[in-house]
Amino acid sequence: MTSRPSASLSALLAAAAALLPTLQTKAAATDDADTHASYRFSEYDEDSLAPASVIGDGQRYRVLSQQLDLDTRLASGTYGLKLDATHEVMSGSSPWYVLPNANGRPIQVLSGATIRDHRSALTAALTQNPGTSTNNTYSASYSVERDYRATALGAERSQALDQALTLGYGGSFSHDEINPTDAQAYHRIADATKNTASAFASLGWVLNRSEVLQAGIQLNLENGYLTDPYKLFSYGLSVTREQRPDRRVEAAGLLRYRRSFAQIDASLHLDYRYAQDSWGLHSHTLEAAWYQGFGDGWRVIPALRYYSQAAARFYAPFLIDPAGQRYYSSDYRLGTFGAFSTSINLRKAFGRWEFSLGAERYHSAHGLALDGSDAPVPALVSFTRVLAGLDFGFD
Amino acid sequence: MHRKLPGRILALLALALLAGCATTPVQPWERARLARWDMRWDPDPAQAALSQHTYFSKEGSNGSVGAAGGGCGCN
Repeated sequence: MTSRPSASLSALLAAAAALLPTLQTKAAATDDADTHASYRFSEYDEDSLAPASVIGDGQRYRVLSQQLDLDTRLASGTYGLKLDATHEVMSGSSPWYVLPNANGRPIQVLSGATIRDHRSALTAALTQNPGTSTNNTYSASYSVERDYRATALGAERSQALDQALTLGYGGSFSHDEINPTDAQAYHRIADATKNTASAFASLGWVLNRSEVLQAGIQLNLENGYLTDPYKLFSYGLSVTREQRPDRRVEAAGLLRYRRSFAQIDASLHLDYRYAQDSWGLHSHTLEAAWYQGFGDGWRVIPALRYYSQAAARFYAPFLIDPAGQRYYSSDYRLGTFGAFSTSINLRKAFGRWEFSLGAERYHSAHGLALDGSDAPVPALVSFTRVLAGLDFGFD
Repeated sequence: MHRKLPGRILALLALALLAGCATTPVQPWERARLARWDMRWDPDPAQAALSQHTYFSKEGSNGSVGAAGGGCGCN
């Protein structure tokens, strides 16, 4: 199973893209057309863990993703329709549980059997009066894997308050069904469900001729089976299924800033996000990107990203003396860590075609965190990702 | 820890509101720079979606442990 952004966050990002409709007219070569198609391919490769601290197959996850988007206008431009189809193939082993060695240091146990799975997803979004200062968007998505199905619905509105301010707000609901593989053989739960309700609001400002700013807030409420059915936990003298609360409330605040340096054909993007949830986990995310044009359709986009997370209250690599603790998980994604990511993208437009190539290197470590618990997190991930894309516009 | 949450979120919004109050309206004919492709919030939404998908699969905030719309991050 893989995860994807919550429907509401996707909606927030989509709303953000539409917050300044009067500003975002023709720019990229393919935007001159009524219909815009784009294809993206990415290969994601995680580094192997150090053999000395691992039991099991050290070859971690590899994901090949393909994404096809179609964006078109209907009914003489009264409606905009966006379709997104995604297919992913995943393989490799994943962190299973953590054992203490003779010195009490953590040894990561990886899944013995190599995981092979694929995910297919389809999202459709219909926008009423696209490109105008006030518009509504309705979306639906369906995602299916061998052991997981998710259905989501969303609605959002973007509304110009005056010449400088644009308000966006909306909500979404998702129903997910979990049917773990080999449930009987590994004593996993046979089937379970969870529901997620989300709401968001954002405000965009035109500060001056060269700068725009946006602030947003998002709330998520999750209910149901939030435990990872595949993960175990070293609990006293036994190894058992991990246990997480069946409810999670998360709030996030977002600030985004864009500044144009038109004289040198460049722009600066700065994004900051703070999130905190009822499990005690909180995070800071800071992103910076520089868009530099070189004429003749060439563009280079270097970017940096820093992420810092403080652990959930019930995170621990293992518990030697559990003392009746109710919730426990050794999932590295709930531990304390920080991560740096660097990336570069190269784009070239040829008439209505545009090609893009990109690469990213992501490195995470316990010592990079701003704050959080000292509990070690042995399975932290570092990965390399390469991307290729093709865009085409037509009438 | 949770008692700090509304304060931090409100502080972010207050900062943004203050910035908004300091602005003067920019007329439509003055928006050429803002209309550039590279001034969008997400100039390449397809690539942004792929990137967000990756981060939410490997990090704890919003998505990797219980995302709406597909997947529980069980890898």
